[in-house]
Parts: sequence; structure tokens; C-alpha cells
Amino acid sequence: MAGLTEAIDARPSWRLELGTVLCTLLLALVALCVVFPLVLVAIQSLQVAPPGQPARYGLDGWRAALGEPGLRAALVNTFTITLVRQLISLPLAVLIAWLLARTDLPGRSWIEFAFWAAFFLPPFTVTLSWILLLDPEYGLVNTWLAKLPFLGKGPFNIYSFWGIVWLHVLTGSLTVKVILLTPAFRNMNASFEEASRVAGAGGLRTALRITVPVMAPAILSVLLLGTMVSLQTFEVEQVLGLPFRFFVFSTSIYDLLVTRVPRYDAATALSVVILVAMLPLVFAQQWLTQGRRFTTVTGQFQHRVQPLGRWRVPVLIFFSVLLLTVLGVPVLFACLGTFMKLFGFFHIADPWTLANWSTVLADETFLRSLRNTLVLAAGTAVATIVVHSLIAYVVVRTRYAGRRLLDFISWLPFTVPGIILGLALLWLFLGVGVLRPLYGTTTLLIVAGVIAGLPLGVQLIKSGLLQLGAELEEASRIAGATWWLTYRRIVLRLMAPTLLAVGMITFVGAARNIGNFALLTTSANRPLSMLQLDYVAQRKLEEAVVVACIIMLVSLAGALVARLLGLRGSVG
Amino acid sequence: MGAEQPGSTETVLSLVGVTKRFGPSTVVDRVSLSIGRGEVFTLLGPSGCGKTTTLRLVAGLERPDAGDITLRDRLVASASRGFSLAPNQRNLGMVFQSYAVWPHMTVFENVAYPLELRGMKRAAIRDKVARVLDLVGLAGMDSRPGTLLSGGQMQRLALSRALVYEPDLLLLDEPFSNLDAKLREQMREEVKILQRRLGITVLFVTHDQVEALSLSDRIAVMSNGCVEQVGAPRALYEEPSSAFVRDFLGQTVILRGTVDSAAAQVVVKLDGALAGHTLVGRPVPGLTLVPGSAAHVAIRPEDIEVGLPDGGAAHANRVPGVIETLGFVGDRYEARMALGGELRLVLHLSRARAWREGERLDLGLPPARVSVWPA
Repeated sequence: MAGLTEAIDARPSWRLELGTVLCTLLLALVALCVVFPLVLVAIQSLQVAPPGQPARYGLDGWRAALGEPGLRAALVNTFTITLVRQLISLPLAVLIAWLLARTDLPGRSWIEFAFWAAFFLPPFTVTLSWILLLDPEYGLVNTWLAKLPFLGKGPFNIYSFWGIVWLHVLTGSLTVKVILLTPAFRNMNASFEEASRVAGAGGLRTALRITVPVMAPAILSVLLLGTMVSLQTFEVEQVLGLPFRFFVFSTSIYDLLVTRVPRYDAATALSVVILVAMLPLVFAQQWLTQGRRFTTVTGQFQHRVQPLGRWRVPVLIFFSVLLLTVLGVPVLFACLGTFMKLFGFFHIADPWTLANWSTVLADETFLRSLRNTLVLAAGTAVATIVVHSLIAYVVVRTRYAGRRLLDFISWLPFTVPGIILGLALLWLFLGVGVLRPLYGTTTLLIVAGVIAGLPLGVQLIKSGLLQLGAELEEASRIAGATWWLTYRRIVLRLMAPTLLAVGMITFVGAARNIGNFALLTTSANRPLSMLQLDYVAQRKLEEAVVVACIIMLVSLAGALVARLLGLRGSVG
Repeated sequence: MGAEQPGSTETVLSLVGVTKRFGPSTVVDRVSLSIGRGEVFTLLGPSGCGKTTTLRLVAGLERPDAGDITLRDRLVASASRGFSLAPNQRNLGMVFQSYAVWPHMTVFENVAYPLELRGMKRAAIRDKVARVLDLVGLAGMDSRPGTLLSGGQMQRLALSRALVYEPDLLLLDEPFSNLDAKLREQMREEVKILQRRLGITVLFVTHDQVEALSLSDRIAVMSNGCVEQVGAPRALYEEPSSAFVRDFLGQTVILRGTVDSAAAQVVVKLDGALAGHTLVGRPVPGLTLVPGSAAHVAIRPEDIEVGLPDGGAAHANRVPGVIETLGFVGDRYEARMALGGELRLVLHLSRARAWREGERLDLGLPPARVSVWPA
């Protein structure tokens, strides 16, 4: 064989002109749904007239976004929070991934699954659980610690900068890195490490001097991905930041939009700022994953593990505490919270009740929202499988001229806060006549869900396709099968586990999505995730917790199914 | 199947001026070939020479940018007419380097798949699959998942899958490169026996010259997308028409010098450490040698006749050498010789005699075996 490069470049090109036409249609559709709304956002940032008045163009929005102290503070807060959470979570995630992938830690596959489950927990639910423990007045941990003689008052306050960072590390930053890095570490050629051991380096020195540098591209890629995802978050700041007037990008945008006179100009100007800040990250991510910089770490190598020796017990204790924190506490307290008469008040006489559940389950609104959520989640999952696999296939397997562009566009939804993507879609659907009837329908939310999930879905299917190897398809073509028959009998059959798992992730994501849906829902298509926010706004915290708990249970079930289908995270 | 002899007149595959570009680089450059029925034809060359792309063009996995490809009198790809038949419409068989055994199917299902696509009845399929699995030595493994086979078995499976529908042409893309040395030799023999038995026409791609020389009826040596030379294995080895083919196939000893006279035989005065010696050789057809120009004198090391300095000389074509290092490797000695204290080459010496390091020898270069090339 004439080497790796030829094998990669020499993709089949048997698609006829019809194929090019179909690819172009797909590209146009994706561009319409992703690029066009973003252009609308950019234009809107220059349109300064209040809603309902004739359009007037100016720079007021930009002046506000860059000049108003509140919004500038939000900018600074966003970058500070992003930086701090990455600084804390990355070294920890690398350590955990190394322990899970390269050592003889007992029960490591179960621990890895626990991180998967934790990744699926809805941030909103986790936030509510930790409020029960760390509320400055009533939080369980604080009230226990307050009983100690030398502490007058509980030391923790979740409504603080560090409270927000804590929740981010738990809900997003750490778990996603662990589940992406662990398989990458597992695939690393063990002989790199063995050579270092033979040369006289100890286990820790080998890990720091050999393993981590060899894995640098994968780690960097995960860091970029994590940074992009972390700029998206909304719920945690919305719940924890509001009480002490702490705003980040997404929450100040929400604040600007959900007032009596929405400030679309300033909100969109802020969004453009963040989009521009994110584009280099997308390019860096593409550069990292395209140049085959992972060749040294992929492939089948004999997988030998490092004995932990006397570190075994301390490491096990470390993982017990960690898993209790990321998984145990949120699940337990989310469930406990649903049985409380007054959410968070453990010290009142007879705090427990079943009334919350019976109220919610009897509520007409809840049942409608539940139905909406199920339709929405199932619809999004199916649509995602179809659309994302098509995009991934075109990007990986064809020589279509626009495939790089398609790949790039599929990353774009990561570059804007979910709420702005929602806003952009709102304009798209209200602005384009034929699409207007879709407003207020679940279809609109499905479209939003499919677009929001593009980066993750396309990447997962792409890496699945890359592992599949083109020769399996080519063998079928040469054996006499048409392209379509090959796609059905070889590609889809072999990709089924990945596709189902992507569908499962999407199902869960759609069931708990808040940011993308916040501006697109009406009372007619409101799903559970928005209902819980509405309950919070109506100060029905107990009902909100019940809904949050239900969403969490759905998510955990999804995690289990996705895992059973054999999906492993992978980078690039 | 079976009756025709290799090299019979019927042409199964012909390429005329086939060119393929990937971006700015031309990977296959105006390649023209023609393969007869029952012939084993090999594309041989180093990595990146375009041999695999040529195979993929024949298979229909790539479209040519120029040229025509004809399979059994049927034009299957023509750049000028802007069409390229899909791989599934060409009735070819192909064994991939990775074997491409479909992991979600059993051995039986893998082999039955192409027959199914051809609308064959179930009973007939069962019959045919059983026969071909028996032929390659996989009888009784029908229900085994394709991925639970060893490397050699996977290759037999890939081979039977490519043969079961009796394709017009069998394409082999480095099929032995993933096997260990011993198995590789065994599979090579098996494929050869199978090919002789069934009389199938084979287009074989490899970078391994031993594989190419031992399996092929004819070989095309490729370099930088071009066909350098086409010929039978022995003709290529003994009469290479270009320096690339000469150096790619086997070992060559090169001595530098200046052309003294050039006619039916060329006389070369050696330079450097061997100055003062004159060698006679035959010119390479098609390459011009002018007296006074620099030349390379080439000979295969195994053609060098080793003699003692005072031994009777059969011809005057000889240079002196000294054994620098000597190693006994069982069936022979391997000697590193210094020629005039400067040039070095490795010769195999018979164990019929005891040699010693530092011994002076007389190296005879039979004029018929010596070729002279422009430098």
C-alpha cells in the first residue's frame, strides 16, 4: 500500500453529478439554519430602534455592550469563570483519565460509567441539589458546621463566585473531560510508557514526562471543546448569580431580552463579541483534529496497566469522595428535595410530604409539558440521527468540494450562547414567511435541538465513520452493491450502535435543554425543562424540584442506554 | 475457466493514457497497460508510486482525469467522454490490504453477499459458498463471525468472497502485507496454485519484489506515477531498461568510469581507486554512450566470479578486492569486500573453501553480465 496519506486522500469518488447536487442542497440547508441566523444576529446588533418601531441603524448596542459597566463586568465575569473552571478541571480530569485508563484501579470501568452518568445529570437539577447543602442560611452542611463551637455561622455560600465555579466543575467541566480523555489515554501505545520505565523513570515521572506530552493534542482538543461548551452555560448562573447580581454573558443577554423593553441591539452585540472570540477556538480545534495529529495515539496496541501498589487505597478513597460529589449528592438530594414541604428547610417540624408529587402529577400543565418533552426529545433524536449522519458522511467519505465548509459550519452552534441561537432562530422563523406557521410548535424546537446538537453529534458520528474504514464499503461496491444498498447494509448496520447512542444523547439533551428553547417556547409547546423554570419564577420551588427530578431520571436512563449501546467518547 | 494459457491473445483489461491527479500532484501519469486472459500481472513500485491508485482506477473507486479503461471489450471509464462506471457495475473481485471482512456478518454471509446481490437462489448460494470455502480451506467455518478469524483465515475469506461470483478480473491490493513472514510465503503459494487451477486473470499490487517476481507472469515497475518498464520477471531482472528498475529490483554493484569506446561492446576506464582498470560490458538499449562521457558499470553481485589472484583468467574483465570482514551464516559466507581500498560491496562466498579476512581476491565480471549506463 502506498502509505497512509494516499489511503486517506484516496476516498471514493464514484458519486455522480447527482451526488454533488445533493451535497450542495445539504450544505445550503445547513447554512440556512446556522449561518443565516448568525448573520441576522450581526445585523440586528446594528438595529437600535426599540421593538415595534421602524428600524433605525446605529452603534448604540455596541456602545452599550462594550461600554456599560454592567455588561463589561459580565464580559469579565464570563472569561474569569471560564478560565478558573478550566484551570481546576483540566489537571484533575487528566489525572482521573490516566488513573482510569492506565492503572489497575479496581472497578475502573464502573467508575468510568459513573462519570458518564454524572455527565448526563441536568445542571439545573444538580444546582438545586447543592442549594440544599450549601445555602448560606439553611444549607445542611452549613447548619451542621454551625453547630461546631468555634464557627458561629455556616462557612459556605453557594450564591457566590466560587459557588458557581464549584457547580460548573461538577456539572460540565470535569465529567465531559473525563469521558473524552479516558478512551484517548486508553488507546495510547503502551510502549511509550514502558520505554520510559525501562530508562529508569518512576510511574509518576513517566506520567508527567511521557504520557501527558504524548497526549497533548488530545488534551488540548478537549480543553478547547470544554472552553466552548463552558461559554454556553446558562442555568447555573441564572439560579446562583441572580441573588447577588452576578452576571455572565448568557445571563446578561437573557436579562436584556426578558425585560419590558428588550434591548436586542445590546444583546446581539454581546453575542457577536463572543462569536468572534470563539472562532479562533473552532479553527484551532479543526487544525488539531484534521492534521492526523492523533496517529501516535490511535490504533490497536496491547493495553498494559500500571500497578498502583500502595497508592491503591488512597486512590480508591479519592474516587469514592469524588463520585459521591459528582453523582451521589446530586441524585440523592434531588430526590429528597421532591419530598420536602418547604424546599431547603430541613429544620421545620415534620418537613416531609408527598404533596409535591401529587400536585405536579395532577397538574394539567405538567402533563402537557411531559407530552411535549417526549415528542420533542424523540423527534430531535430521530432528526439528529438522519441529519448529522448525512453531514458526517459527506465530510468524511466524499470529495465534495464544500465538505470542509460543511464541517466548519457544523461547529458554529458551539460559538454562540444557546439563548442567542434561540433568538436567531426566532428571527429566522418569524422573518421568513413560509416558516412563520412553525412558531409555537414542537417542530420549531426540534429544529433548534438538531442545530444546537450539531457539533457533538457530527463529531461523534465522524469519529465512528473514521474507525469504520472505507475498505468495508468499497468491498461491498466491488462485490456488486449500489451506493444506497451499501449504505443500508454495511454503513448503517455497522454504525448502528454509534447512531443509537447519539440519538440517546440527543434525546436527553433535548429533554433538559433550556438555553436554546428559552425564547422559542410558548405555552403551547412548552417542554418540562422550561416548565421547571416557570415554576421557579412562580416561586413554586417544590414543584420545580419534582420536574427537575423527573428530567434527571430520564437523563440517567438515557446514560445507561447509551452506555449499553457501547458508545465510547472520543476526541476529534 | 482453466483452459487458456497465460499470455493468450484475449485482452481482459487495457488502460490507455490513464492519468489521475490529486490536487496539484499527478499520482498516475499517462499509464497504458494491457493484461491478457489468465495472466498474473503485477504493479510493483515503492510507496507513493501510484500503483494502488492505478488499481483503484481499474476498480472504479477513482475516476480518471484522462485516458480510457476497457474491461473485456467494454469501456468502463473514459475521461474524454466524462464517464466512469460505478464499481458495482464492473464485475470485478478485489482483496483489500485490510481484507475488509464485514464484521457484522458470519463467514457464510460475507461470501453469500455478492451472490445475493446477483439475485441467486438460496439453495444455489449455499452450494456455491460451500464449494468456494472448501476451495480456500475454510470448510466448516460458515457460522463463525468474520472477526473471529486469524489473519490467514481472514485473507482466505476475502479471497473466496472475491472469487465466488467468478469475476472477470481479480484485483489484489497488497494482500500479504499484514501477514507474518512464514504465513506470507504459504499464502503466496496457495494463491498461485489457486490461480493456476482456476485460470483467473489477476492484477496484483505490491511493493515487495520477491512477491512480485515469484507470483507474476508479467510485471510493470512504477515510479512517480509512470510505468518504467513492463516485462517478465526474469527479463526485468536481467535486462532492466532504466536505472530505477535496475536499482529497485535486487542488488546492483556500480563502478564509476569514463567511456573509452562504444560499439556492440562498451569499454570503460574506471576512475578513483580502481583507476587503471578497464572493463568491457554491453550497452543498455536505448541509452546513448559517447566516448569521454561519465559512465556507470553495473553488475549483480551474484554474477561476480570470485577467484584467487594467481588463478587462470577466463577473461580480462577483472578487478582486485580484499575481504574486510567475513561472517559465516550457515549455508554460506557473507564477505564485505573492499575494491581498491575504497568501494565496498557484500558478496556471498561458498563454504566449499575456508576464507579469511584480509585475503586478496580476484573479482571477475563476465562481459555478458555487465551493463554500462550513462552516469
